[in-house]
Amino acid sequence: MKRIFRLHRIFISQHLKRLMEYKVDFTVGAIGFLLGQAVEILFIGIIFSQIPDLAGWTFDEILFIYGFSLIPKAIDHMFFDNLWMIGYSIVRKGDFDKYLTRPINSLFYVTVEKFQVDAFGELLMGIILITYSLIRISGNIMWQRALILLLLVPFAVLIYTSVKILTSAISFWTKQSGHITHMFYAVNDFAKYPVTIYNDFIKVIITYIIPFAFTAYYPASFFLRGENGWFCVLGTVLISLALFGISLIVWNRGIKAYESAGS
Amino acid sequence: MISVQNLRKEFKKTIKEPGLKGSVKSLFKPKTEIITAVDNISFEVEKGEILGFIGPNGAGKSTVIKMLTGILTPTSGECMINGQIPYKNRKEYVKEIGVVFGQRTQLWWDLALRETYAVLKEIYEVSDKDYKERMAFLNEVLDLESFITSPVRTLSLGQRMRADIAASMLHNPKVLFLDEPTIGLDVVVKDNIRRAIQKINEEEGTTVILTTHDLSDIELLCNRIVMIDKGKKVYDGPINDLKHKYGQMRELCFELKNQDALSALDYAKTFSLSDDDLAVDSDGVEVKVRFNSQKASVQEVLKYTLNSIDVSDISVKDADIEEIIRRIYKEGV
Repeated sequence: MKRIFRLHRIFISQHLKRLMEYKVDFTVGAIGFLLGQAVEILFIGIIFSQIPDLAGWTFDEILFIYGFSLIPKAIDHMFFDNLWMIGYSIVRKGDFDKYLTRPINSLFYVTVEKFQVDAFGELLMGIILITYSLIRISGNIMWQRALILLLLVPFAVLIYTSVKILTSAISFWTKQSGHITHMFYAVNDFAKYPVTIYNDFIKVIITYIIPFAFTAYYPASFFLRGENGWFCVLGTVLISLALFGISLIVWNRGIKAYESAGS
Repeated sequence: MISVQNLRKEFKKTIKEPGLKGSVKSLFKPKTEIITAVDNISFEVEKGEILGFIGPNGAGKSTVIKMLTGILTPTSGECMINGQIPYKNRKEYVKEIGVVFGQRTQLWWDLALRETYAVLKEIYEVSDKDYKERMAFLNEVLDLESFITSPVRTLSLGQRMRADIAASMLHNPKVLFLDEPTIGLDVVVKDNIRRAIQKINEEEGTTVILTTHDLSDIELLCNRIVMIDKGKKVYDGPINDLKHKYGQMRELCFELKNQDALSALDYAKTFSLSDDDLAVDSDGVEVKVRFNSQKASVQEVLKYTLNSIDVSDISVKDADIEEIIRRIYKEGV
């Protein structure tokens, strides 16, 4: 475990050095990114100013759910972004060879190699929205529930990461699966809003099939109203662990099916 | 040290008809066929040996190397290296091997070379003391000092290859796999790399498995070669045996002044040579006569040729290893 953190630190610092190597690109990228975030905040403001309340949720509560949904997404984005490349090019071009000839877990190696600085913006925005909505809700915060919510964040991250592991591992058989990852990943947009606004079909899908509802709505609604505690809390933990387990099995099978590429 | 038994690898390949229409068709109704890239290959390698692994393009060399390094899982058969099965206990196994794929670098493209070594030191858990010693040794053998602070993207191919070999040796592996380590390099750099490989082998006792298309690599480095073709092993033995077997062959090349003159020559009858000991190729003007110099002396053959016909140019060639291998690729052993 200590070794994993040590390697993680080293890889992150290498990655940052690499960013600094290309200064112009880094600067322009950072400016462009800040602009993008500003536009998105504006956009959210416009949307939510049109919605006083929705399916029994007040504007501030919706804002909280939306803000919370960004936290696990941002953490996943920050640390596990390289998984996208598995499905898009690493396997197809045979570059996965490299990860298999090192004495560290291949999945760990793939994820640790990239550190996505962009994700700080998402994280920051999530924190801003949460804080803003909490100030407006201004009831007495249930510290116990806040603590539980905090503890659920890693499990919510795990749902995002597992979906990426699972779908990118398909490329070991099909050579390319980036678009599959993209399709599944896109479902997370549903998770930003209360699940109660959707019809049963979508509800079932985002709860049990691609369980993004557990990354935001269920934990957040438990925090806000304290209802359905068992389902929301235990559900998040169990579903994320189950999904992670399945994704690891598929990943390991995939490695055995990996065919490399001619050289 | 290395024991390979009936190793086999099959790939499933989708057959596509040409054009967009064919691609669409194969999307809905894929036809697949099984391609055997490696077909029941067995061989053994002793500790400290340098084994040359050769064969034409697409023979399955890289596939074998990828199975031995744990990248690919064999369809059937076994390989055991240093008492470990590569694809079963991969993480433990790869600590004891070094791998260089000549066509792909394992260095961090954007960073100074030194950074790559610093990361590898952590990955392989090399102690500070060992790291210092290894770097001193590798620097001496591969002369890295002059470019160790440059970003990898700025290195020349020769520098990059030396850096790659050093990267694969940092953790003092027992077996070193080199897949085409001299590809695309000039003569001087090739020489440096060969000397480095030899030194590593001598001083560290590292077992080396080497694939190459450059036969000088083989001649200078390896005592033994395994040759494969179409996934099958066609030769396994000392390189000297090959030379001995085919080494007495000489090639007489000449150009005819008069195209019909060839019919005046009958080497088989004159020197009573069997088909095994004689081959005559002609395109009308240029004639190549390959003959066994033990059965018919070069002097006699030359004299007979010059006395019988008019030639405008004539030369006699030794059968070098390249010629031998060309023959084996063409005809099999």
